[in-house]
Amino acid sequence: MAANFWTSTQRAHWQLTREKIADMRKTLDEEDTRQGLGMTYPLPDHKQLQLYFHHCLQRLARRLQLRQQPLATAETYLKRFYLKVSTRETNPYLMLSTCVYLACKMEECPVHIRSVVNEARALFQGMIDISHVPAAPHLRLPLSRGWLEKTRVRTDLCAVVLEFIPQDTAKLAECEFHLISELNSYLIVHHPYRTLMEVQVPLKLTTDEIMAVWSFLNDSYITDLILLYPPHTIALTAIFLAVFVRPAIHTQANLNASASTSMAAMGAAPGSSIASLPSSATQNVANAISAAAPAANAQNLSSARLSQMSDWFAESGVDMDAIIECTQEMISLYDTWETWTDKVCREGVARLIRGRQLL
Amino acid sequence: MSSSASSSATRPSNAAAAAPPTRRTLPFGNGHTPVPASVVEIDDGGGGLSKDNSDDSDIDDPDDINTKTKRKYTKGTAPCYHRRFSSLIKNRKLGEGAYAVVNLGHRRATATDSAVPVAIKKIKVNTEFRDGLSMDAIREVKYLRELHHPNIIALLDVFSSKNQNLCLVLEFLDSDLEMIIKDSSLTLSMADVKSWMLMSLRGLWWCHKAFVLHRDIKPNNLLLSSTGVLKLADFGLARSFADPYRPMTSNVITRWYRPPELFYGAKFYSSAVDIFSLGLVFCELMLRTPFLPGNSDLHQFELICQALGTPTEENWPGVSSLPGYYVPHVDNAAAMVKERGKDFFMNTFIAAGESGVDLLMKMIRLDPRKRCTAREALDVPWFSQEPYPTKPANLPKKGGGKGIEKVGSDLKRKAGELFNSTDDASGRGKKVARKLDFGGGG
Repeated sequence: MAANFWTSTQRAHWQLTREKIADMRKTLDEEDTRQGLGMTYPLPDHKQLQLYFHHCLQRLARRLQLRQQPLATAETYLKRFYLKVSTRETNPYLMLSTCVYLACKMEECPVHIRSVVNEARALFQGMIDISHVPAAPHLRLPLSRGWLEKTRVRTDLCAVVLEFIPQDTAKLAECEFHLISELNSYLIVHHPYRTLMEVQVPLKLTTDEIMAVWSFLNDSYITDLILLYPPHTIALTAIFLAVFVRPAIHTQANLNASASTSMAAMGAAPGSSIASLPSSATQNVANAISAAAPAANAQNLSSARLSQMSDWFAESGVDMDAIIECTQEMISLYDTWETWTDKVCREGVARLIRGRQLL
Repeated sequence: MSSSASSSATRPSNAAAAAPPTRRTLPFGNGHTPVPASVVEIDDGGGGLSKDNSDDSDIDDPDDINTKTKRKYTKGTAPCYHRRFSSLIKNRKLGEGAYAVVNLGHRRATATDSAVPVAIKKIKVNTEFRDGLSMDAIREVKYLRELHHPNIIALLDVFSSKNQNLCLVLEFLDSDLEMIIKDSSLTLSMADVKSWMLMSLRGLWWCHKAFVLHRDIKPNNLLLSSTGVLKLADFGLARSFADPYRPMTSNVITRWYRPPELFYGAKFYSSAVDIFSLGLVFCELMLRTPFLPGNSDLHQFELICQALGTPTEENWPGVSSLPGYYVPHVDNAAAMVKERGKDFFMNTFIAAGESGVDLLMKMIRLDPRKRCTAREALDVPWFSQEPYPTKPANLPKKGGGKGIEKVGSDLKRKAGELFNSTDDASGRGKKVARKLDFGGGG
């Protein structure tokens, strides 16, 4: 990645505090309420939405066969963008396709705008049942009568496909412009993956642990961490989670479908299985850490290695408070995830796009 | 489907249609980077540390600007898109290129600063762009936003205008090195050459330190400020170093300055490509004419072989495994040139002196692994020997009104192209926006 994090615009302009983020979101919400949009188009809270967008992005990235880096950049763009613009003012599907498109250019792996649009069109569409058309209002979709009739004639089915991404690539191009403008054209994003690459050798992480760290890092993009902390802190948090906390949870709850499998689980059934950590273990990091030693023993992890690892953390001079806070954030993410389904988000967004004609 | 009914005016999906007064329908001002006055005035080109502007009290809170912009819009008042923009007075057009129009402007005088001329580069977005913003524009914004150094052109601000154009406010620079080289009325002493080399190496070192390859080093991308400071410009071909084993395109750098590994189609290369180009600029500064002016890629490569030597396994281990490896006159052993030794360069570039020639030879070695880095080049004794580098303010200048066109006319060329073909430039510029480089993740 280009440039130096310490002199980067990410550090100077896009490292925010929790208060600032909360404030920015509140302002947007208030503005929505003032305009009456909040009532008309209810959306789940931002944590739920972030989970949903994360899954959408991931599915789109998979279709385009992207690497993790552009995907991470896209996620960061989307997060930054929605701090400054209300979700209700945009077509989220178009927005996140734009983020992917721009991120690809940024990470020097350009994808043609046409293929982004095509993949996004195929991916983001919804079915609605119109077998009971006169009752359409109960769907709360303010569809015009004429539109429905036209559709009906064309499809001659009782379900229609709702499209969410306009076919015209110019829309996406235009959206890209807005995105750049909202981001203040600060486009280079520094990611935690690089830190992982650097420290995995001196720390002698096992392949299994590296996989786990990657998954934690991927999951960290659902949270606001990338807006709050420098990338190395996030990377170390993920290592910390993978080495100290994960084995403890494994033993405590006998879980095999923890975050380490989340990547695999994601595509197939978003929200179904991923990382349902038991809240008993997740409520308190301290518990998990204190349980770490015996747990690790159980997993044949020599305690010598663990202490070596904690020495390394101690000597690295890294901000342990920040790591603890990141850990809390991650754990609260998995808590939310446990009960999350994409249904509410999907419907909310569909209603929003249809209702406001954001195509 | 019903998507054609984009009548409703909601961002960001409606086209450039009538600007509706809804909130957030329009792009916002941004770019709260304060203008680093110190960068504009400057300085002996020294330093090497970027100016940290983040503490400047001049910072506008972006949200603040957005609120203000929004208010202006909803009131439908005069086209004042941005607070800083309102302080920019557009003067006149400097040039028009494939993807941008450049106007000369001024930052209005404030209580503390006097008026500063700036170049406003307006990137065309909306007209025929079905492909999004061009890669050049994006690269330029992307890197100039991050790189701050006295020897790199300063991007003072970015804002968006009402009809959805992205405008870059760039430091205004009078002239470039090409104009100096071509101006036969000027005499360039070795101290002057040393000074320019020093400044370009500093700029390049800063780029490489941040893992950015410039990929288009040539005299007319080395711009000169009115105070004589040299600055690297045109980051339209720049990119960050690729991750290991990720290929880059070899079709970069203007032909006359392109290093041999790129002619061989190397997909994995390093900062040594920029060093080679700069080495040839060094030659050009001394010769006052391009050192290797090939008229085709093939001819160019023959010139390289004649001037520097034929690449072989001996002088460049592993060269024969490059995809495009080729040796001119392979059947004629007599035509093969051994890699040139010091006496050859001493004869040609006698004025540089022994240590100068040493530096030059390190910069234009055939084998990219043997070339020096920008950092090593800065450390060579040549720079600390007499004659000392001229102070930027005392460097020969190309004066007068001609110089003022520089930042603009530069745009008429496509990056990587040689001539300032002013005649056909406007015609071609209008035709097509440059295509993205989709080949091989270049």
